[in-house]
Amino acid sequence: MTAVATPERASGRGLRAWLGAHPLAGYAIRRFGLYLLELWGAVTVAFFFFRMIPGDPIQTFIQTLQQNYVYNAQASAEVIARYRQEFGLDGNLFSQYLHYMYKVLVQQDLGPSLLNYPTPAQDVIMRAMPWTMGLLGIAAVLAWILGLLAGALAGWRRGKFGADLVTNLSIALSHVPYYFLALILTFVFAYQLNWLPARSAYDARLQPGFSLEFIASLLRYGLLPGLSIVVIGVFSWLLSTRMLMVPVLGEDYLTYAQAKGLRPRRILTRYALRNCYLPQVTAFGISLGFIFNGNVLVEQLFSYPGLGATLVQAIGILDFNTIMGITNLAIFSVLTANLILDLLLPLLDPRVKYWR
Amino acid sequence: MTLQSTLRPLRGVARRLRENWKLSTGLVLLIGLILLALLSPLISAAVGQGTDPVAIAAYQKWLRPSPDHWFGTDQFGRDLFAMTIGALRVSLEVGAIAGVLSTVVGVIMAFVAGYKGGAVDGTLSTITDMVLVVPSFPLLIALSAYTKNVGIVELGLMLAAFSWPFAARTIRSQVLSLRARPYVELAKVSKLRDLEIIAYELLPNMLPYIGVGFASSALGAIFALVGLEVIGLGPGETIDLGKIIFSAIGTGAMTLGAWPMFVAPIFLLTLLFAALNLINIGLEEVYNPRLRGVAGA
Repeated sequence: MTAVATPERASGRGLRAWLGAHPLAGYAIRRFGLYLLELWGAVTVAFFFFRMIPGDPIQTFIQTLQQNYVYNAQASAEVIARYRQEFGLDGNLFSQYLHYMYKVLVQQDLGPSLLNYPTPAQDVIMRAMPWTMGLLGIAAVLAWILGLLAGALAGWRRGKFGADLVTNLSIALSHVPYYFLALILTFVFAYQLNWLPARSAYDARLQPGFSLEFIASLLRYGLLPGLSIVVIGVFSWLLSTRMLMVPVLGEDYLTYAQAKGLRPRRILTRYALRNCYLPQVTAFGISLGFIFNGNVLVEQLFSYPGLGATLVQAIGILDFNTIMGITNLAIFSVLTANLILDLLLPLLDPRVKYWR
Repeated sequence: MTLQSTLRPLRGVARRLRENWKLSTGLVLLIGLILLALLSPLISAAVGQGTDPVAIAAYQKWLRPSPDHWFGTDQFGRDLFAMTIGALRVSLEVGAIAGVLSTVVGVIMAFVAGYKGGAVDGTLSTITDMVLVVPSFPLLIALSAYTKNVGIVELGLMLAAFSWPFAARTIRSQVLSLRARPYVELAKVSKLRDLEIIAYELLPNMLPYIGVGFASSALGAIFALVGLEVIGLGPGETIDLGKIIFSAIGTGAMTLGAWPMFVAPIFLLTLLFAALNLINIGLEEVYNPRLRGVAGA
């Protein structure tokens, strides 16, 4: 008995000793475990939330089919059962859940979409993704960079009229939802002044491609939705950067840098602003989820053909596979971004010690 | 108790209000808006003079703003001024219900998690984080699209289901910092029960943060509902500010000269937003003096 148990215990001790010697690896393993748990939990929560919505998508689907093709015979129970099986909607909720998880995890298959049957849901999502990545990705990163710079300046020049005006303006506007600004921008620039288009992603008369004309049209149509995300984003990043900056500005090493005769600009960018990078990078990861939420409305308002608008359409006809696909994608990106940031942070900043 | 001693705490509050313009301005704005909302039946009666001004075809369609109809009328001939004030009331009610519910859930979760610590905290915090990660807005769209004809209370419930994690998260971090204070240790040493410590020692010190949590979740709920309605997915028949904006967009009211239909609800929402935001910042400045002058948020 003891002879069998000893090697196990020894290996256990070995693992612990190894972890003791490599605290970062231990931290990484634990963090990754938490990531998997969160991923599973969030996907499961989303799955059951959506399935609990009342309504029968297959019945509606067959009705539209019948209307479209003047197919007067009542769809047989067999046909309905066949569709149900194809969409993973047969059996009780729990077996549907197992079936879905199996298909996604093992076969990497999100199932067919109802929105554009028989196109698979992943194709529908892939078609919408570049639009969202282009609009949301550029807008979110741009807002972060501009907000960081503006916040640093607002902190640096605090007490001056301009800086305080901008700060107070940000306090007032940093939590305004994106769509709210989008509404006002559309009202002013699209309806009153008639300068910019209010709907769609590009001029429908143009052929999508790498022509100068098409790219110009992309920018023109993307300006209003992009602007509504960027402006609000800049305000909130400005505030948080300023909050990080101001305490740093009183530090001795900055006074020393000044005494050394360094130019203010160098002090600001090389000495003061550096302290804000890391917390702001983490904050960016955390904010991704909210940014996606806000983007759904903006896309819908501007009829932008991205993931958000697709999601709203999919919900309209209860296309579970597409809904879950987009939701999973959002969950996956937010959690993965946070995982990467958390793992990178101890490497970037020697003071950060998660493992203890 | 003499009158003097009962008034003393109130005087403290009054001083803080005088000292912090953000808090006082925010409160004045908010009280003004609430009063306006409460007066909506009277306003409606005054506008209608015996008839219901927001009944279908009460007046001519698309009347321009005039002394009789300050904001004009909409596509069904309803008086937009009375309608907007009534919608403000609905929006505020939904926000209040959702705010109270999510604050209560958030406070309970936060206190249990933050005070108990350890495995309980770990489990509850992970659950909170999971709900936070699931994109809530699509869920809300889905829920509202398939629950027709819901009342204000059900709406508040639905919105609260997704906003409690925010309140829970903020309050938990405060509980964590309060738990380590000497007076809580003292209370523990003197064998007070957990519930007593929470009720007598922690809760009173948490009130401002709970207030901030309430204001943020109420605001979040109001704007989430407006967002839903603006894209035409609003649930039920209740007319709140978002629904007016939606019909302004849908009917092209701006091109018909009925600009108040779009501008008035947006203006009211902006005021409400500014009021609650100012209260939030003001409260934090008053109760967290380290932030004073340093932070803008």
